[in-house]
Amino acid sequence: MTEVGPGDPALELRGLVKEFRGRRVVHALTLAVPRGSLFGLVGPNGAGKTTTLSMATGLLRPDGGTARVLGHDVWADPAAAKAAMGVAPDGMRLFEQLSGRELLLYVGALRRMPVDVTAARAAELLAVLDLAEDASTVVADYSAGMVKKISLAAALIHAPRLLVLDEPFEAVDPVSGQTIRTILRRYVASGGTVVMSSHVMELVEGLCDRVAVIAGGRVLAEDTIGGLTRGGSLHDRFLELVGATDSAGEGLTWLG
Amino acid sequence: MVGLIVRLRFAMWRTAMSRSPLHLVSSIVGALAAIGVLALLGPGLILLAGQPVRITALTVPLFAVITLMWGVLSLIATGVDSILDPARFAVLPLRASELARGLLAAACTGIPALMLAGLALAQTGSWLGHPAAVPAALLGGVLGLLTAILFSRAVTSALAAVMTTRAGRVLGAVVVSLVTLLPLGLNLLLTTGSLAADLSSFDATRSATVASWTPVGWAWALPFDVSTGRWGAAAVHLALALLLIGALWVVWVRRLDRTLTSPLTSAGGQRIGHGRLLPAVLGTSPTATVAARRIRAWYRDSRLVGIALRTAVLPVFFVAQAVLTGMPGLAGVGVVTLAVFAGLTLMNDLAFDGPAWWLHVAVGVRGWEDRLGRALASAVVFGPVVLLTYAVSVAIGVIGRPVPWLTVIVVAFLASLGLAVAVGAVLPGTAPRTGGNPFAATSGGAAQGCLTAIVSFVGPVVLTLPVAVAAAVTAGSVPGRWLTLALGTAYGLGLLALGVILGGRRLDRRSPEVLGQLAHAQL
Repeated sequence: MTEVGPGDPALELRGLVKEFRGRRVVHALTLAVPRGSLFGLVGPNGAGKTTTLSMATGLLRPDGGTARVLGHDVWADPAAAKAAMGVAPDGMRLFEQLSGRELLLYVGALRRMPVDVTAARAAELLAVLDLAEDASTVVADYSAGMVKKISLAAALIHAPRLLVLDEPFEAVDPVSGQTIRTILRRYVASGGTVVMSSHVMELVEGLCDRVAVIAGGRVLAEDTIGGLTRGGSLHDRFLELVGATDSAGEGLTWLG
Repeated sequence: MVGLIVRLRFAMWRTAMSRSPLHLVSSIVGALAAIGVLALLGPGLILLAGQPVRITALTVPLFAVITLMWGVLSLIATGVDSILDPARFAVLPLRASELARGLLAAACTGIPALMLAGLALAQTGSWLGHPAAVPAALLGGVLGLLTAILFSRAVTSALAAVMTTRAGRVLGAVVVSLVTLLPLGLNLLLTTGSLAADLSSFDATRSATVASWTPVGWAWALPFDVSTGRWGAAAVHLALALLLIGALWVVWVRRLDRTLTSPLTSAGGQRIGHGRLLPAVLGTSPTATVAARRIRAWYRDSRLVGIALRTAVLPVFFVAQAVLTGMPGLAGVGVVTLAVFAGLTLMNDLAFDGPAWWLHVAVGVRGWEDRLGRALASAVVFGPVVLLTYAVSVAIGVIGRPVPWLTVIVVAFLASLGLAVAVGAVLPGTAPRTGGNPFAATSGGAAQGCLTAIVSFVGPVVLTLPVAVAAAVTAGSVPGRWLTLALGTAYGLGLLALGVILGGRRLDRRSPEVLGQLAHAQL
């Protein structure tokens, strides 16, 4: 058992490496997420965001480096690390034969929570996320946005201290999106930590405290929103960092 | 347009084969099997040319049955030709009839259709002894080929329409599972009745006449009618065959039209009860929770409903056969086989979860909890089926020595469960895709499938054999029998515990790797 101090970062990645078939997709990635922050992870398609989050949450074994959650090593002491965090990956299926409510009860039981506590929290989460009407519908029949919301609920049910969310706002309607923002802000205000990835710069800029820009499996920059943008927009700073060129400017003239 | 779709099919086929050795191997095996069938049946059919009409008429019932089986088999193998899923053409400006012509042409260039065309040609050869019938046989062959292909397209597209809802998928799974048991039923009939195999007295005229008046036999009856000089019947059969082809075409084009205009087929809204019964019975520990989910899957998941039905109906045939043939050992072996099958269904249980299993990894479910929960679910679902089949067999007196057989049955079930939970953690196997076609092959995965198959055949035999020998030896003495039953049960439970521990340890150590395997486990 490792000593866990109160000053440890909520999530600490050190020298994470991942290779797929000899091709290195994450290059010695190092990142520290302080407690009580709402941390945004942005990057272009294929930057390694999902791969990094998978290695941080125990879903994908890294080829090198360490990941620590609130001081617990994810790969040396997975049970303690997994008990402390809630995870909602992107694009991973759920157990589709279960209804929304059953899924939440299932996660609660697997986390050894008392049934009445789980049931009460599940009802509350379903109501807040506007899923109460579909609580008895199987997840297979949920729309993409509803799947996002039920995944979030499943990650929240045991009141974790760290929340890792991959693209939590994708396909979610504006009303539910606002609900989720409120939930996340309140969660962070009470001392929780959120790590979320996103493509949408405006969203990250308006919601997160800190942001890391990842491209090609490396951290290009990591700072508070204000420190990174220095008065400009995150959108422009991001394009500048990843070195984007406006390739559509010249061609496609036939399109009008 | 027709040429374009056919070329598209070959291009996709080529890509699929170059990307996956499994696809290449299965294509080669399929081609070899088709050539084998042709080499076996073709010369035989042509040899019929030298026979009198009463024997040559055999082609009519034979090809009527082939046409019927074509439709049945296409139900089981609908996943095979999903390369050209019509829904993928939905965004293109295409008419259904145009697309249907292209898809029909593409279907005709497939291995099965080429094989059937070869057989139809050989059928023409059968009628060489009756020159007037040869053109009729050729025409009948072409019409019969079209009937078979359009029949399978119409049936599968109509079924696909039913299966857009989850309830429909379960219904479809039930129907198809029972249909696939038809060969077993035929086997049952064959073993009871005796077939006349004597050529000198053999007369196919009657069965040819009967078959010629079934929809699948209309086209194939033409040469038979002509050679017997019944021109009126020939005209009626020709008209009926053409009408049938037209009707099947219309049905298929209509279905295609619907697919093109409403490609998003998941008509959802399956609502379910609160599911309070299972937690009340099993408890709320992680193990019980996993078990409850898997038990629910056995009746909610259309992919599993089919397997459960086939497994449950299987013993009926064994017992029925034992009663009919009067062989005492058969029923016992049947129940033991059922026990083994029931236990081994757990082998690819993880594959049925597929990538959704990430939840277990993220939550940190202990490996033994996952394994034991699944074993518990299978025991709850199949235990009663096995015991009921045993009890019925004993009650109607087809099992001679109840206690020794019970010993073997119990050990076979527990040993198979233990084997499946241990091996399933290393080789999770494959399963049809969630919400997809429940009839796509559940086997597959080339090397892995081979290894799993060997383990599934050899494992239960090796593990059960010692107890079977002990049960046979002690069958003579009353206390000996019961002692063997008790010790055998303990041995079986020990194997199950060992399987749970070994499988669980593997999952604990390698859960991310297993999750990686599961990402590709659904076909």
